[in-house]
Amino acid sequence: MGSELLISLNTLMAITLPAATPGTVMHPLLVLVLCLAAGIGTVLTLPGKRETSWAKIGGVIALATGVIFAALLAHHLADVGRGGMGPYFWIFSFLAVFGAFRVVTHRRPVYSALYFVLTVMASAGLFVLLWAEFMAAALVVIYAGAILVTYVFVIMLASQAQTPAPGGKSNMGSLSAVTDYDTVSRDPLVASLIGFALMGMLLFVILDQSAGAIPPTVTPPKITDHYDSSVQELGRYLMTDQLVNLELAGLILTIAMMGAIIISRRRIVSTESGPVLLETEQAEVIAAMGIEQTGGSDPDSIPVYGTDNAAVKAYPER
Amino acid sequence: MELLALQHYLVVGAILFGLGLIGFMTRRNLIVMFLCTELMFQGVAINLIAFSRYWADFRGQTFTIMLLVIAAAEASLALGMVVLLFRQKGTLDAEAWRELRG
Repeated sequence: MGSELLISLNTLMAITLPAATPGTVMHPLLVLVLCLAAGIGTVLTLPGKRETSWAKIGGVIALATGVIFAALLAHHLADVGRGGMGPYFWIFSFLAVFGAFRVVTHRRPVYSALYFVLTVMASAGLFVLLWAEFMAAALVVIYAGAILVTYVFVIMLASQAQTPAPGGKSNMGSLSAVTDYDTVSRDPLVASLIGFALMGMLLFVILDQSAGAIPPTVTPPKITDHYDSSVQELGRYLMTDQLVNLELAGLILTIAMMGAIIISRRRIVSTESGPVLLETEQAEVIAAMGIEQTGGSDPDSIPVYGTDNAAVKAYPER
Repeated sequence: MELLALQHYLVVGAILFGLGLIGFMTRRNLIVMFLCTELMFQGVAINLIAFSRYWADFRGQTFTIMLLVIAAAEASLALGMVVLLFRQKGTLDAEAWRELRG
């Protein structure tokens, strides 16, 4: 069974990604200069108190840097990079990086979330290019479907409850309301310096082929004309070799769900007429009414269900 | 059919990770900060899938599945906490919780 699986894996993923041939090193100084330019562009584009024209200039600088870097990368890795998948890679990676840039620099959280959807879709496209079809589908379903909907929901909840500052330009309850903490970013210069220093180091290490890329130990046979979907193979692999990890993933998700429910529960007080949902702004009203609170901010006061003590019952039977 | 080099994908992953880091440090909106951590997750996921393809086995994809699970758990817990914090202070500003610095 094991050797069979290995053979099918090998025929499936017969062509590995080639590493670039040694000797085509992008100069570290060049990477540094490009990172510096992109950093300046990012600092200008990050939300701040300056005029919007500066942000546009910063965006143009960052975009130009990205295009120059992509052109250099294509040029330096031309001997391995000219192939059938080429154009799709460039389109998807441009969309992913552009979306990521806008997530970071857009002043409105809703638009940040939507640009993040763009990034997720583009990286799903990259996954398809890497023959990871199941992961691409899972990414779209989990990220763009579930996680992002939750994010947008919380953003809407928060921006609807936000009371506008008197005399401010934010309009009541609108999603387009721009709050103060979204328009002014915190230490953009230092953060961009650290971020682009890290990015530059990573790029330098990735593009430094003089150190010698590790060749894959797997020497796959020539690909046959028989090509199954990788989804099937991945499913077989997960259910045979990685069964414990799969169950562990389910356990983690269950625990996280219970934790999220407990963290974000509402406080409920029990009255003679029935349970009352205790809002934060209602706290004084409830206290003035003289009703005993059963739940507080104390984590030990989670309502206990199935008890005889009426005082600790969240939903007492009528 | 010639394919792209491993380095191309690693570069995209590194750029996404760096941008996410910058966003996490600069933005003050709690929700956008957590979105930026998701961006960093994306960069790591692209790296893992590219390595999975490079070594021609499924271990990288298994790592990515675990990464998606952790990201989903993190998002649910973090958003629960954001809702809780929002109920306490009425704002999503991370600066409102300065006193936690000690």
